[in-house]
Amino acid sequence: MSDLEQDRREIAKVLNQPGVRPDPKLRITRRTFIHRSCLVGAASVAETFAWWPLMNTLDIAYAAEQSFKFAWISDTHLYPKSLNTRFVEKVVRAAKEVQAMSPPADFMIFGGDLAQLGKIEELELGNEILKEVKIRKVFIPGEHDWYLDMGKKWGELFGPPNWTFDHKGVRFIGLDTVSRAPDYWSMKKMSPEERMAHMSVLDGTVAGPWAGVGRDQLDWLQKTLSTWDRNRPVVIFSHNPLYEYYPPWNFWVRDWREVNDVLKPYTKVTNIHGHVHQVLYNEIGNVRSIGMLATAWPWPYAPEGVPKLTKPMIRVDPGDIYDGVGWGKVDVTAKDEVDVEYVMWGRKEVFARSPEDASKASIPEVLRPRIADTIWPY
Amino acid sequence: MITRTTFSRTVLLIGVLGTVAVLVGPVDAHKTPIKPEQLKAYQDAFMEEVRKGDLLFHGDEAMAKQMGVVLSNTGMACAMCHPQTADTHPHTFPKFQAQMAKFATLRDMINWCIEKPNQGEKIDDGSEAMKALEAYIYWSNSGSVLTPGKF
Repeated sequence: MSDLEQDRREIAKVLNQPGVRPDPKLRITRRTFIHRSCLVGAASVAETFAWWPLMNTLDIAYAAEQSFKFAWISDTHLYPKSLNTRFVEKVVRAAKEVQAMSPPADFMIFGGDLAQLGKIEELELGNEILKEVKIRKVFIPGEHDWYLDMGKKWGELFGPPNWTFDHKGVRFIGLDTVSRAPDYWSMKKMSPEERMAHMSVLDGTVAGPWAGVGRDQLDWLQKTLSTWDRNRPVVIFSHNPLYEYYPPWNFWVRDWREVNDVLKPYTKVTNIHGHVHQVLYNEIGNVRSIGMLATAWPWPYAPEGVPKLTKPMIRVDPGDIYDGVGWGKVDVTAKDEVDVEYVMWGRKEVFARSPEDASKASIPEVLRPRIADTIWPY
Repeated sequence: MITRTTFSRTVLLIGVLGTVAVLVGPVDAHKTPIKPEQLKAYQDAFMEEVRKGDLLFHGDEAMAKQMGVVLSNTGMACAMCHPQTADTHPHTFPKFQAQMAKFATLRDMINWCIEKPNQGEKIDDGSEAMKALEAYIYWSNSGSVLTPGKF
């Protein structure tokens, strides 16, 4: 049995106790019919495609005092305009669309990775473009924003990396899951640019398990939640998912066990996260997690560990820079529901209709971690 | 037009040459058991190509310069869409490739990615850079089941 498989069994044993799952009032409602592709096909994939009916939204019951909506943009990975205009065009488009929402969103959350290499001009470019969005904006950092100057510029532009506020009956919490990487640079006497370069490679091995919440922030989270009724809704924003999906790409936080210990008493917790650049859904204990799209480019699903509750996103056309990417709308309705809608540009249907539409289900692969960065000085 | 006699003579000639080749063989290939140091040398040669390919795949400018190629002009690198070479599926080539609308090899696909998303400069099929990229992609996917033609 592989280490990863052992870890997964541990997750199931520790977190998925019999009868424990997100509050049943948060059940996803079925908006559309089950597509006929769910009724045919190989048995090994039929379950994946049949579990979730085809739909673009999630309905999650919440005790909202009044209806409202908010928008999510993340993973814009901006280079300077002189190098790459494609990424810029997509952030401009997302910002305009968020601003044009009618009725308007109450606020916009930016979920991290505004910049690609953490440069001042990249962060300032992103900040400038997002000024198009006039509603309230809140920001959490991504690793690409942080490791050139260890968050200095990001902090100047956007303030503290973690925060909380209450809005119409929901407690919102922004977590910083990127700034507590183990020090991989001092011993090797890396320059800030070298440190950033290693951090910016998703499948790099040098930066290691950098994603984490940290004991100090866990204590802050616990204190923040201690004043909140355990049966009232909590939405936690984070750059990384708060469970273990695929550690080699930091599709996790390394202290997910401790995070879950803090969240365990609360029955209506939703984690909305970036970093994965893909449609993703999971439930761990009482917590449901929703992965959001990037504007820059889509990541493929990891070779293993994709949550079984995830309805795979459609196979995208790599020749279309607007395919497989976009932003997200979240509606909190007066009927105590929350709809999370993926706005994937150029696609009416976000989810795969068949194994052939979802490359991961169609073509299995076995992958090795990269090797060149383990050879000195890499 | 090939006559029946000509065809028979050609087959006979190939047969004779083949028999001679088997009986005599090249002067010094595979006549003695392979030594461990030879195996290591072969493996080292392969892994050196993998290392170079890994660096090219991850946008290492020094390696691209050393090999005389421009794989990207946008800041995009192969690994940005294909971490650990995910979704490259080298074990499915050759196959009909939808975005090129043709029956394509892995090398065709590598060049398509260089020219389209990366906006770089196409590399020669037999170039050192192409062989290094191939070596890395295949090495990273070793263990995947060969399914040529699979969409």
